[in-house]
Amino acid sequence: MMRNKINKKQILSLGDRYRIYVLFVLVFVVMTLFAPHFFNAWNLTSIMKTVAMNGTVAIGFTIILIVGQLDLSIGTIITFAAVIGLGLKDAVGYGVSVPLAIIAGGLIGLINGLLVAKVKINSFIVTLGMLTALQGAIYTITGGNTIAVTDDQAFAISDWLQHQIVPMLTPRVIIAIVLVVSFSIFLRRTRKGRNFFMVGGNSKTAWLAGVDSDKYTIVAFVISGVMAAIGGILFAMESAAATLNLGTNSLMYVLSATIIGGTSMAGGKGGVFRSFIAVLTLTTLYNGIVLLGLGNEVQIFISGIILASVILYEAFVEYRHDKVVGQRPELLKELNTIQ
Amino acid sequence: MKKSFSLLVVLVLALTFAGAVFANGGSESSTDAAGSGNLEASLALAGQVDALTAADGQPLIKVSGTGREVPARPADPEALPEDNPLHWWDMEFAGWNSTKKNIPDSPKDGAIGKKVIMIVHGDHPWTTACINGATKVADVYNMDFKALSPNWDLAVQNQMIDQAINERPDLLLLIPLDAKTAPQQARKINQAGVPLIMFNTLPEAEAMDYCIAWTGPDDFGQFRKLSHLWADKLGKEGGVAYIQHAPGGSPYFARYWGPRSELAEYAPGIKVLDAQAPGFEADKTQQLVSDWLTRFGDEIVGICAADDSAQGLGISEALKKAGREDIVVIAAGNSKQGMDLVKSGDIYAITYQTAEGDGALAVKTAADWFNGEELPPVRYLPQHMITIDDVEDFYPPQW
Repeated sequence: MMRNKINKKQILSLGDRYRIYVLFVLVFVVMTLFAPHFFNAWNLTSIMKTVAMNGTVAIGFTIILIVGQLDLSIGTIITFAAVIGLGLKDAVGYGVSVPLAIIAGGLIGLINGLLVAKVKINSFIVTLGMLTALQGAIYTITGGNTIAVTDDQAFAISDWLQHQIVPMLTPRVIIAIVLVVSFSIFLRRTRKGRNFFMVGGNSKTAWLAGVDSDKYTIVAFVISGVMAAIGGILFAMESAAATLNLGTNSLMYVLSATIIGGTSMAGGKGGVFRSFIAVLTLTTLYNGIVLLGLGNEVQIFISGIILASVILYEAFVEYRHDKVVGQRPELLKELNTIQ
Repeated sequence: MKKSFSLLVVLVLALTFAGAVFANGGSESSTDAAGSGNLEASLALAGQVDALTAADGQPLIKVSGTGREVPARPADPEALPEDNPLHWWDMEFAGWNSTKKNIPDSPKDGAIGKKVIMIVHGDHPWTTACINGATKVADVYNMDFKALSPNWDLAVQNQMIDQAINERPDLLLLIPLDAKTAPQQARKINQAGVPLIMFNTLPEAEAMDYCIAWTGPDDFGQFRKLSHLWADKLGKEGGVAYIQHAPGGSPYFARYWGPRSELAEYAPGIKVLDAQAPGFEADKTQQLVSDWLTRFGDEIVGICAADDSAQGLGISEALKKAGREDIVVIAAGNSKQGMDLVKSGDIYAITYQTAEGDGALAVKTAADWFNGEELPPVRYLPQHMITIDDVEDFYPPQW
């Protein structure tokens, strides 16, 4: 009897921990069964291509949330990097302009990080200010015009970025997957990686353990800036154009996916791979909704429902946990098993 | 247990992905509506299409009868100053001198039952009216018609293009989100062998090479004409300001540089005081106009807006609060708010821009192509300016 109970709890625990994988498989199977034209190589490649940008950006954003901060500027960093990378292409070529765009993203992250960690300004305020300043800079640099490259070389690179090296995986998707796997291993398997969780989960413990919280916070913002820049410049190279609202929708998309993927906004908990799967899940869902002939309003409604459900569930778990802390140690132990 | 679960997940993923690889990738054939009688039946529907009306009671399909007089292209338009109308030649007349590449031949088997996918730019009351108009024509031809909206997101629009190609439609209709991203989008659709007609938003000239035709409003032409009305009302002198469209798209250039470059020749006494793009929120426009009134005082006598709805309302509110109803306002139309403002005298003139007609003309052009008709590279909607004298003719509004 007891054994059955434990098994049930263990199953619940695993279901909770791996909920994003379960959700992905569920969405995938439902769309395969009901959405016309969903289950074929062309469409799945299209989904993977769409995942590449936000999946890359989600790496940095997840690390930011893990250290207990927020980065609202990721959308404008995406656009800024795209504008720099394509805008300088004719003058210096992609060989120089692309690294410059990525460095620019890192520098913006560095400024965000320094202001948050050293000047002790709330990351919401800092990154909101950065978002606004960058928008102004983008409009000033471009004069309000989209940057486009239409020469043969640009089109050749664009074609190459869209070509499948292995089935369903284009270079941009492969880059995203390599980055996701690398950062997953780094965060889970190295001491420095695990320190990010300690900084976000309990800063006092981090301090007692001799972990430099400021340094990790700054590095998290730099990673966030670099990932947003990589996502933005690669997307722009594939489109052969950088529009001025390129990253506008990415913030909400990545924020939703990261939370749905199980990363806590309170810090100290989360995973890059799970965020990537969450981006993949949302993209698959949106793709299927379109194929089912439903409108954009349905997409927004369903993603809102999913996000609200996950946040409510997280709040409930937190509440249940807090309720027994210090009062019923045996219950706390049991709950920890479930979580 | 943990390992088993992970294994299960990996297995499911591997199976589904492997299945996908071997599944028929984008190979579903499009509707085969061809038949010997289909063309004749399709041609016979022309009268039925001509008889369709928009929500405002105007004929749904109105093709500009005389077309447009296209001046000779300067050797290097960009070398000319921006306030020279010919500087904008490549944008204004994009498509007129395009070199078509890999354009499929018309099947000449009629439009009835064809599968047509329309990808618009984003959700907006205008877009709803546009899709309604398109659907009216598609219904006459009993087309398998579907409209998709990427909600102003380029990444989503690119994904929708992929999805549309995957469905192998007989023809794709596209409003490019941005003039400069259009060439690569059009090229991709062209390379996939899907016939393409672009509409509404003018793309960069290169994009025209890859599409059968472009249809839509003659935005530059409309605003050049509107600017004459405006200048005449202003006595061809005074300070004016422009409220611009979202940067990047063709309306941004047509509705700002169109009138500005036109007036540099037609009314050089008119001075441009400022130009801003506050977006499409009434309160932001109201704030901007209030700031202008404070900054320029009596010097400002005219405002040209890229949108007659939210921007129109913002302007009207600011002018009322400042007691400056003397300022002559023109705008791109013709929304309900815009027409109400024309009726009340708050806006002097707006352009007639039939949203339903825009979508309808695109589908009708597709039908003409299926019917084997020789198409011009560009098909404009007719030009018309709405003033207080004829605004009643356009009620009830389309959106």
